[in-house]
Amino acid sequence: MLLDFVLPAHDRKLIPEGRLSGPMPWVIAIMLFLTLLVAAGGLTLAEAARQGGQDLARQVTVQIIESDPAQRAAQRAAVTRALRKLDSIAEVKPVPDAQVRALLEPWLGTGVIDADVPVPALVDVRFASVPTAETITRLQSTLRSVAPNIRVDSHSSWMAPFFELMRALLWLAAAVFLLLLVATSAVVILAVRSTLNTHRETIEIMHMMGGTDVQAARLFQRRVALDALLGGAVGFIVAAVVIVTVGDRFAAVEPGLLSGAHFPYYGWAILALIPLAVMALAMLMARMTVISALKRIL
Amino acid sequence: MNSLCPVMPFVAFIASMQSVVEFDNVGLRYGTGVETLTDISFTLHPGSFYFLTGASGAGKTSLLKLLYLAHRPSRGAMRMFGHDTITLPRDRLPGFRRRIGVVFQDFRLVAHLSTFDNIALPLRIAGIQEKDLRGPVTEMLAWIGLTERADARPATLSGGEQQRVAIARAVIGRPEMLVADEPTGNVDPEMARRLLQLFAALNKLGTTVVVATHDIHLLQEIEGAQMMRLDKGRLSDPTGSLRHPPRPLVLDN
Repeated sequence: MLLDFVLPAHDRKLIPEGRLSGPMPWVIAIMLFLTLLVAAGGLTLAEAARQGGQDLARQVTVQIIESDPAQRAAQRAAVTRALRKLDSIAEVKPVPDAQVRALLEPWLGTGVIDADVPVPALVDVRFASVPTAETITRLQSTLRSVAPNIRVDSHSSWMAPFFELMRALLWLAAAVFLLLLVATSAVVILAVRSTLNTHRETIEIMHMMGGTDVQAARLFQRRVALDALLGGAVGFIVAAVVIVTVGDRFAAVEPGLLSGAHFPYYGWAILALIPLAVMALAMLMARMTVISALKRIL
Repeated sequence: MNSLCPVMPFVAFIASMQSVVEFDNVGLRYGTGVETLTDISFTLHPGSFYFLTGASGAGKTSLLKLLYLAHRPSRGAMRMFGHDTITLPRDRLPGFRRRIGVVFQDFRLVAHLSTFDNIALPLRIAGIQEKDLRGPVTEMLAWIGLTERADARPATLSGGEQQRVAIARAVIGRPEMLVADEPTGNVDPEMARRLLQLFAALNKLGTTVVVATHDIHLLQEIEGAQMMRLDKGRLSDPTGSLRHPPRPLVLDN
């Protein structure tokens, strides 16, 4: 069917092809621009969820709750030593007290926290692989032998709502992507019907001379394919500029929740395939529309 | 006569095989309106020349539309080239249409194509290679006297010139049957005679020709031509040759 795109020069004359003269290439360009943005957003979310999820699922924070600052410091050192002895742990990073105070300052105010306020000591831990709930319970009991009042917080548990949101957004992106494809198909069908009406006389003459439905459909397929190709190229270029620009802005954001949110390189290959897929879809829709319309005349 | 009776069904079968078109009690109705054509029965034989006459609105164009397969009858039986066209699958119709040349009353030239491309259209539809069609189309252009206008669009041609292009387009593929609706209506008498000579030449090569016309004087131009007359959608048969055609050659042998 796609090979029907190639037509002899004389057949191309049957339905005049106006390069970018009608609204169709521009409408396709806009639809494709939006489709590509949604696809890029979806891919970025998927990549962020994949990377961030893997990273966060391996991280826990050990809280040492002790009111005596000297004891607290000693217990933190002991916990750190105990953790470093475990093979399953890739990295242990005690959080300095100043950093903990800085974290609390937005809520408690500057200068309120002094040495007498019992702020828990924190130790960030990164497992070599994603720990199970059992591993974390075992770690908790191991650490209680050196610091009785500790709590082990898995990052994945408090980040779960965030990742659920990301998953929901991913589904939303997929739904919008599909809706845009449906809308693009509808635009193609309307454009083909309009062109068919404009050139009904030519098609009827061809029919009366023994032209087949497929011969007529090929003429429209080619015209639609060219419109989709031109619109697709314009849509892709504009979308690529937007993705690169927004990507730069994301890169400038301080690492945090959005640390994994970057557009993956393989995404460009997927984005490049979308205009081609839309072109194939447009040709298919044109063929089906023309053949179904011609079946209504003898 | 009695001795012929056992072979009559066989003779009828041979006769039917030899017919180009057979109508048997054909009726045509557009939508839910009254019948435009009623109880039409006739047989067209290969190599025959027919004039179809009748007043305006008698149903000439509707009958021609059935002949060039633009419509199927609402009732009755219709056979063409030995096949029942009522039950013929739609996807086989293009093959039949390629065997029929049509001259439309309103010419129906493709407005954005040149004279050359309009005449070449049936050959291109039939898949003839560009190198093989250039010669016949150029020859046809010379014959209709429009060589100089080969690149002209129909809008720039006079009515007579458009009609000549329409006729050239209909005959370029050497059709087995030629159907023409008022083909000489817009040309001068000299050109009308030349066009009829072309039809007659095609007819001598075996093409069955059906010409719808108001001008009954044209009958005198073609030797042996038969006449069909339509009156309010019903066919009268002044010569009697349509319902009772001359005995097929096979009987004479």
